[in-house]
Amino acid sequence: MQILQALDRGLDRLYGWCGYVAAALLVTLAALIISSILSRLAGFYVPGLAEWSGYAMAGASFLALAYTFRNRGHIRVAILLNAVKGRVRHVLQLWCLLVASLFSCFLAYYLVKMTYVSWRLEDRSEGADAVLLWIPQSVMAFGAVVLAVCVVHSTLRRLVGAADPIDEQGPPDPASEP
Amino acid sequence: MTEIAFTGAFLAILFLFLGTGVWVALSLIGVATVGMLLFTSRPVGDAMATTIWSASSAWSLTALPLFIWMGEILFRTRLSENLFRGLTPWMRLLPGGLLHVNIAGSAIFAAISGSSAATVATVGKMSIPELRERRYPERLIVGTLAGAGTLGLLIPPSITLIIYGVTVNESIAKLFIAGVVPGIVLALLFMGFVVVWALTRRDAAGESLPSYTLAQMMRGALLLLPVAALILLVMGSIYLGFATATEAAVLGVVGALVLSAAQGSLNRESFLESLLGATRTSAMIAFILAGSAFLSLAMGFTGLPRALAGWIGGLDLAPITLVAALTVFYIVLGCFLDGISAVVLTMAVIEPLVRQAGFDMIWFGIFLMIVVEMAQITPPIGFNLFVLQGMTGHDMGFIARAAVPFFVIMIAMVGLLVAVPELATALPSAMSNAPG
Repeated sequence: MQILQALDRGLDRLYGWCGYVAAALLVTLAALIISSILSRLAGFYVPGLAEWSGYAMAGASFLALAYTFRNRGHIRVAILLNAVKGRVRHVLQLWCLLVASLFSCFLAYYLVKMTYVSWRLEDRSEGADAVLLWIPQSVMAFGAVVLAVCVVHSTLRRLVGAADPIDEQGPPDPASEP
Repeated sequence: MTEIAFTGAFLAILFLFLGTGVWVALSLIGVATVGMLLFTSRPVGDAMATTIWSASSAWSLTALPLFIWMGEILFRTRLSENLFRGLTPWMRLLPGGLLHVNIAGSAIFAAISGSSAATVATVGKMSIPELRERRYPERLIVGTLAGAGTLGLLIPPSITLIIYGVTVNESIAKLFIAGVVPGIVLALLFMGFVVVWALTRRDAAGESLPSYTLAQMMRGALLLLPVAALILLVMGSIYLGFATATEAAVLGVVGALVLSAAQGSLNRESFLESLLGATRTSAMIAFILAGSAFLSLAMGFTGLPRALAGWIGGLDLAPITLVAALTVFYIVLGCFLDGISAVVLTMAVIEPLVRQAGFDMIWFGIFLMIVVEMAQITPPIGFNLFVLQGMTGHDMGFIARAAVPFFVIMIAMVGLLVAVPELATALPSAMSNAPG
């Protein structure tokens, strides 16, 4: 039991760290674009800045998935969920989590597989950067794996009846919704 | 015959996942997976992985997190106070007085933020208590905010417009420029409504406004100056073709940080909060876009978009009938889905249809923003309603009823856009050759 609690806390920390790394990638993205503006003003061309910006974007998006999931940041249609209470609500949440577990694991498996194939074949980007594709792809695949772990983790927590951050109801945060 | 059964099953699963509350992005991935299993023998998982990789690492997407971040930074400044103080001496000259602060303030904030909920929250934070104190009718305080807050979607930069541009592969810079005039026209229509209301029922409005000297009015204008400079920096650099949408966004982030530092609102905590907030929101949206790219691929295999486009084409509808039908369709959809999901979910099917009907895709983007704006204020799911509920304590029904006149004005705006398409198309075609 103690091992499980330690694992539970450890995983929560993992999601948070991934979120911080994602935020750092977002700053990197901004820095890349500033350097592309500056280099253009100075009259020289740095190849591959556009591609690297894309990789930073993909990495930031996927690494933050689990962190966002834990913070109730992913949107869903909540009409039915808000209309039911108690046991029905519990079962409905469980159904959502099971569907989400299935497809997030599916996604993680195939993103890892794609990265592995890129690595085996030494695929390179077609852009000016000609980078080995498995390098940026592995960041994305890792993010997808962490999301899958996080969703399965949330499902298990619900199954054993532990309090779950995704079940809290409250007004949404206006700053973080478009 | 099996085709029809498959299509039925496909749609049923879509409604089942979304309706029971499975997270939108994962619903899209799930539905697309089932669709591909039903309609093709291609390896589903591998097709999914490559589609999602190329959709998520696309250059055009990079404007998204940066504009979100810019909005998050400004949301945490004292902008709300400055907007109110700066606009008040000017707006009291109009019939309807400070109600116009809600509308003009929303229009200005919309021009530096891509989010309509943040617009409502920022403007309302300061204006709701002030307007209440001056005894303006509650219904109009809430209504003007709910209506004008939706300008966040139309007036650039707009997150929803970026999503549309990425989905249908149109220039985000052009879409942004196209939104400027319709946004201003819609704001003026809202203000016109308040003026008419004030002139016809003069007893009700808050009368006890102090008058302001010219010096005070100038000091007010001075408070608005930094915001105006930021708008000019971002939109000007796009319009003149100096910067792509992404580059303009990064200029906006830098400008917002400078503005926030100058006001003394920038510290370690507010910086981290804005950054993490932007990280979460952009991850949420990027995941939905990834799912929708996969769904578009699967949709292609179902043949549904082609069949629908062919069917509608065969009906030989007048364009105006089609626009009317699409307006109703999006309003109904908007009752159940948020704006982003509505755009992302439908474009795979609607895009071929709209292209075949010969609509200008830039024009259609602006049309779509207005109908999605309406969805923000229709119950039971309307994000602006939720935000206002939290801020005013009124129930959803009251807020939705208060927003009805503004909903009607938006319908009129759709009519205007159909009658005078140049409102949206004139500026982008006059633009310098914008990169991307």
